[in-house]
Amino acid sequence: MNWLEHLTVAPILIPLVAGGFMLLLDGRNRTVAAAINVVATLSLLVVAIMLVALEGGQNAGGHVYLLGNWPAPFGIVLVADRLSVLMLLVTAILGSATLLFALARWDKAGAFFHPLFQFLLMGLNGAFLTGDIFNLFVFFEVLLAASYGLALHGSGPARVKAGLHYIAINLVAALLFLIGASLIYGTAGTLNMAALATRIAGLPPDERLLFEIGVAVLGVAFLVKSAMWPIGFWLPNTYAAAAPPIAAMFSILTKVGIYAVLRLGFLVSSSEDDVSLLFGGNWLMVGGIATILFGMIGIMASQEMAKLAGFSVLVSSGTLLAAIGYGGAAVTGGALFYLVSSTFAIAAFFLLIELVERGRAPADDVLAVTLEAYGLDDPDEADDSGEVGIAIPAIMAILGSAFIACAVLLSGLPPLSGFVAKFAILSALVEPTRGPTESWGAWAVFATILMSGLATLIAMTRAGIRTFWASIDRDLPHVRVVELAPVAILLILCIMLTVQAGWAMRYMRMTAEGLARPGAYIGAVFAAPPAQTEPFKAAPVATTADGGPP
Amino acid sequence: MPDAALYLTILIALPFVGSVIAAFFPTNARNAEAWLAGTVSLTNLVITIMFLPSVRNAKVVRAEYEWLPDYGLNFIARLDGFAWCFSILIFGIGFLVVLYARYYMSPADPAPRFFSFLLAFMGAMTGVVLAGNLIQLVFFWELTSLFSFLLIAYWHHNQNARDGARVALTVTAAGGLCLLGGMLIIGHIVGSYDLDVVLASGDRIVSHALYLPTLLLVAMGALTKSAQFPFQFWLPRAMAAPTPVSAYLHSATMVKAGVFLLARLWPVMSNHEYWFWIFASVGVLTLLIGAFMALFQQDLKGLLAYSTISHLGLITLLLGLGSPLAMVAAVFHIINHATFKASLFMAAGIIDHEAGTRDVRRLGGLFRAMPITATLAMVAAASMAGVPLLNGFISKEMFFTETIESHGNSVLDNNLPYLATLAGMFSVAYSVRLIDQVFFGPAATDLPRKPHDPVIWMLVPIGLLVLICLLIGILPGPTVGGFLATAVQGVLGPQLPSYSLAVWHGFTPALIMSFVALIGGVVTYFTLKTYLSGNIEGAPVLRRLKGKRIFERAIVILSWRWARRIADIVGTTRLQPQLRLLLLIAMLAALWPLSAGALASGALALDVDWPFAVDPSFVLLWIVGCGCALGAAYQAKYHRLAAVIIMGGAGLATCITFAWLSAPDLALTQLLVEIVTTVLLLLGLRWLPQRLEDTGVRISFGARLRRLRDLGIAIVGGAGLAAIAYAVMTRPQINSISSTFLERAYSEGGGRNVVNVILVDFRGFDTLGEITVLGIVAITVFALLRRFRPARVSVEAPRQKRFQNQFDADRYDAPKAGIAAHYMIVPGLIMRLLFPVVAMMAVFLFMRGHDAPGGGFVAGLTFAIAFILQYMAGGARWVEARLRVLPVRWIGVGLLVAAATGLAALVFDRPFLTSAFQYADLPVLGRVPLASALVFDFGVFSLVLGATVLVLIALAHQSIRIYRAMAAAKAAETDAIEEAR
Repeated sequence: MNWLEHLTVAPILIPLVAGGFMLLLDGRNRTVAAAINVVATLSLLVVAIMLVALEGGQNAGGHVYLLGNWPAPFGIVLVADRLSVLMLLVTAILGSATLLFALARWDKAGAFFHPLFQFLLMGLNGAFLTGDIFNLFVFFEVLLAASYGLALHGSGPARVKAGLHYIAINLVAALLFLIGASLIYGTAGTLNMAALATRIAGLPPDERLLFEIGVAVLGVAFLVKSAMWPIGFWLPNTYAAAAPPIAAMFSILTKVGIYAVLRLGFLVSSSEDDVSLLFGGNWLMVGGIATILFGMIGIMASQEMAKLAGFSVLVSSGTLLAAIGYGGAAVTGGALFYLVSSTFAIAAFFLLIELVERGRAPADDVLAVTLEAYGLDDPDEADDSGEVGIAIPAIMAILGSAFIACAVLLSGLPPLSGFVAKFAILSALVEPTRGPTESWGAWAVFATILMSGLATLIAMTRAGIRTFWASIDRDLPHVRVVELAPVAILLILCIMLTVQAGWAMRYMRMTAEGLARPGAYIGAVFAAPPAQTEPFKAAPVATTADGGPP
Repeated sequence: MPDAALYLTILIALPFVGSVIAAFFPTNARNAEAWLAGTVSLTNLVITIMFLPSVRNAKVVRAEYEWLPDYGLNFIARLDGFAWCFSILIFGIGFLVVLYARYYMSPADPAPRFFSFLLAFMGAMTGVVLAGNLIQLVFFWELTSLFSFLLIAYWHHNQNARDGARVALTVTAAGGLCLLGGMLIIGHIVGSYDLDVVLASGDRIVSHALYLPTLLLVAMGALTKSAQFPFQFWLPRAMAAPTPVSAYLHSATMVKAGVFLLARLWPVMSNHEYWFWIFASVGVLTLLIGAFMALFQQDLKGLLAYSTISHLGLITLLLGLGSPLAMVAAVFHIINHATFKASLFMAAGIIDHEAGTRDVRRLGGLFRAMPITATLAMVAAASMAGVPLLNGFISKEMFFTETIESHGNSVLDNNLPYLATLAGMFSVAYSVRLIDQVFFGPAATDLPRKPHDPVIWMLVPIGLLVLICLLIGILPGPTVGGFLATAVQGVLGPQLPSYSLAVWHGFTPALIMSFVALIGGVVTYFTLKTYLSGNIEGAPVLRRLKGKRIFERAIVILSWRWARRIADIVGTTRLQPQLRLLLLIAMLAALWPLSAGALASGALALDVDWPFAVDPSFVLLWIVGCGCALGAAYQAKYHRLAAVIIMGGAGLATCITFAWLSAPDLALTQLLVEIVTTVLLLLGLRWLPQRLEDTGVRISFGARLRRLRDLGIAIVGGAGLAAIAYAVMTRPQINSISSTFLERAYSEGGGRNVVNVILVDFRGFDTLGEITVLGIVAITVFALLRRFRPARVSVEAPRQKRFQNQFDADRYDAPKAGIAAHYMIVPGLIMRLLFPVVAMMAVFLFMRGHDAPGGGFVAGLTFAIAFILQYMAGGARWVEARLRVLPVRWIGVGLLVAAATGLAALVFDRPFLTSAFQYADLPVLGRVPLASALVFDFGVFSLVLGATVLVLIALAHQSIRIYRAMAAAKAAETDAIEEAR
């Protein structure tokens, strides 16, 4: 095996080792911990880029890594296919940006920020790479445990309250995950995703029934993670209360649920009737639409910008669920593009909010909204004094531009990638290839996505005007360049996504098409050869008839 | 033209480049900004003019760049005659506006922002006009809304400006989203977003089943943008913008985008009665309402805004009529309106600037003070009124002619001539009012400033536009004939309908209508003059119908009050309902395949082996275990201590079950986990405030019902889960991989304890992840508890402890009272002595792990118990003074050792975590199995020990911290008393 082969496991090992070293320091020397954190995160970025370069272009099922040299389905496999490496890259970029932001001040708000941050990255990367359901559970646990710690980072009553709610809900979700996984193992006899896909068709009716119950319960666990209505109420408060760089990093957490739905949903589709178990009965699409609607109502009803951002996460999640639930490679491709774009946009927005709200009394918001709600700000009384403009200070101009960019991205208006993403989803929705039964769904998703854009725009305009224009004699926030840089990086990436939309979309579309035909993935997992036999170890028994692909 | 594609791209890109550059000029660089913006617009104007030969006779220039080919979206710049005509307007009037703005803006105004946005808007507008792709059109369309928003709110410290901008953005962006929907459906019908393909699609859109929704969506886009009824209200509000913005965006360009779009799609969409009904009726309504309202405005710009609305209504009506001749009239009026309205806005700006007010009632007699401005404005106003020898007259006469023509014999169609004449009357009336009240009559006395003509450069733009009005009006054929033909051919193709551009067509009905309107208008004005000068705001009847106010109310109610109410109804922030919902959804999800499958097969028949021959003692064990579990749940709210202890009973039952079912390793692990967690929970319980049962309070019926419901959910969920678990566990595993583990554990994993081999070898990666979780949880608990401050009631020592201390103090008369010194002395000693014993036990369990029950996890827990005993016996301080307890480092060591073991395989060219095993002959111990997995297991051991001890410390240090805090408080109190003395 050459060293590049081991690159697949690197995204998990780098944060693990980095976290281990930080703990060895006993959390005392913050500078060294920060240095390790930066080095580890940047190496993750490099590894992710290399993986995308290596795996992105290939048309096969991805690179399979046999942990412990055990062949599938006995050991645990990691699979780096297009979808996985894409998610790794998004995670690495997001991690780098938020870490940079956190280094300015937020990492000092509590103990163990740096190791927790690395463990979160480890959990995310592991969840995106693994090809085994129980291992997926383990990495879910890793990322959830780290996210508990990070959600509570900085303490304070609001954070502790929201954080403990978050923990309670997610513990139940983890329990459901475990129940689902054990039902699947108990009936199908394997936890390897590829092996599972090959076994469904051959299950006897009884087993099949229990298996489906397992998949359904597992699906609920994923949907809690992706915050679908009505099991996603935990999200807005938790995210709004979390420290801003952490909330920004959390914008990818819901996408883990989406990823799992995508990955398993396409694999666990029974081959004979071509109806996926996870996607059955349009539930996913209806749930997605409900989530968008709830998210957009929440966006409009939000006073604080952090809440608004939290509800935007719901809209983003709902859009993805609805699009994925509707199905089809073109729609899914657009949804993947949307996933990347909206994750960056929401993260940038969370970071931006903190910068903007520095030096603002929180009571301002309440007052402004109350005035508006009761129509007290009668424009007739407004001062017409002096039609001479007021120059906006440079820092406010920069923050304002970033805010506009975020508003445009979140509401899916041109000229940024939010528009491209929405266009791709919508245009694929109205493609005339689907049968009449699906068409009501297509129109429902279509209309909801368009409406959510308007709601976001209304709320963002309201918030923006209140923050940037209405209070002129406010204190200017003190913002350092290292804090502006991450916001700028994320927004510039969105701009690049727009300019290079053709290239990016081709990647997404290829990914979606690969997902829709899981044969290559399954083949790759089973074809992966173990390294040659070790001197003191018997040769692994050839794949048994029941273990291999039919 | 040699490189048409390049120049086309420049047309769109140059304004945006200029906009970026403009943003970086210093705040007061008015001149530099104006030079930049002027150069940009002039360059583009020249390029556009050079394109004339290429677009004549319905020819088209295209430039295509690949953008999103997978979704049929390429960036296409496309210039035809119609777009060319609009480009001339955009750059020509743009240039004049820049010149005007240079002198209009005050030196204190921050110029970069204004010119940057203005240029960006120019680019966006060019993008709309030159879009060769429907989606690209929407793309730039929304950009124009965005920059219009930013420009209206240029004076953002003014509440009116902010509100106006927001209303404008909300309305136009909503329209834009509808338009996007419409365009997507057109793309769906035609099969392409390419404008040329769409325009060549003939009747496909009109005859498609989705024609009506498409039309409505497109109409929403066009009508909002062009401020047509019922969306007209945003335009008057947008007058809070600086006047150059009003002149440019809200008369000449942006509001024309709506009618531009209608004209663009006219060839493929107008051939249907819906088109006529929607646009003709909206157009005529807007025409009338706008003209009527304009007459009653007191604000000069408000009057012009309503007049703009009315004229746009006229154009919409013409487009709605659906005949080629009406199309010619519409295009012609677009050009004419842009010239006279832009100049009028600029004049209004000058008056506002010089006189200090825009209120028509306060102005008067300005002709003497500013003769040049007055003359120019009067000509423009006359053109607006449709006075002969001016351009407004010619296009209006074409309009009148078209209204007389029959377009289907409907009520609306038959009455059009009368409605048009009525609107013409109002139009004349407000024009006359503008001229009379502003420039004539007694000179105003109470003006804030003394008016005079402005600098010449402010008058030049107006002068030029008025000159164009005159030239077109007097010599229409030679001046504008070719221009108009080129533009119309862009829409209608090379075959033009026959029309004549002339001032005199003989005594036609249209001429009569013109004169009726002129005379009627003048009469109307003089009749109403006194009324208008009075204290009135807005038009009678329609005054009450404040579109803006209704809209804002609606937005506030919808987006704020209702949203909050609905959010409260369909969402919750409370934990309990969330958990209930989650459980319900999970249960429904589990039932779904059950019901679907059962219904499909007709019966719910799972083959389950029912246990008929069970050992009674096993049954008893389970009865006890279940009883404990229920008891724990029952006591959990008010008697936590009891609940924790009873829970231990349930755990023990599980433990014995594992042993019973021949899983000794599981039983051992479960036992240790039970012990450690129970102890830690008990330690934590100390700091929770006590909960007292309110025995006196009567529980309401509703609460009872809710509890019953929750009980039901719990029973169904629990029983269901038990049933499913039973069904799965009692069925034979047919083709599971678990048998493989049994076969291979020794031959390939080198261990006889299959569970351990699975944990450290087959699925060692899972273990690595799980120990990480344990470590994370430990540091999270530690980080959280470091900031924990117990409730006031839990601060002081518990009752039992106080009692014991009191007892000891009384008995021994010892100065240092302490539980450890007296009550705990014997157990403490034993616990201390147990430390090496338990530690040895841990080593034993660890070493045998690979072959017999034991292993790193169990060993770690056992060792942790040794520590727990020491803390219990001696207290945190006593232990830490004697032992180096560094749990965080142990966690770190554990992770690193485990990871390093796995990484060692890489050196031997094997994947991560590949294990190796060998027997070694050691001196004393003899032949021992050595597996690399043992090193891995040591990592597990170290981490489990570290994590458990860390949680223990986090809890134990609470007491130290609390006493420290109490001591500090006491010290402060005594200090205060001392000071008081």
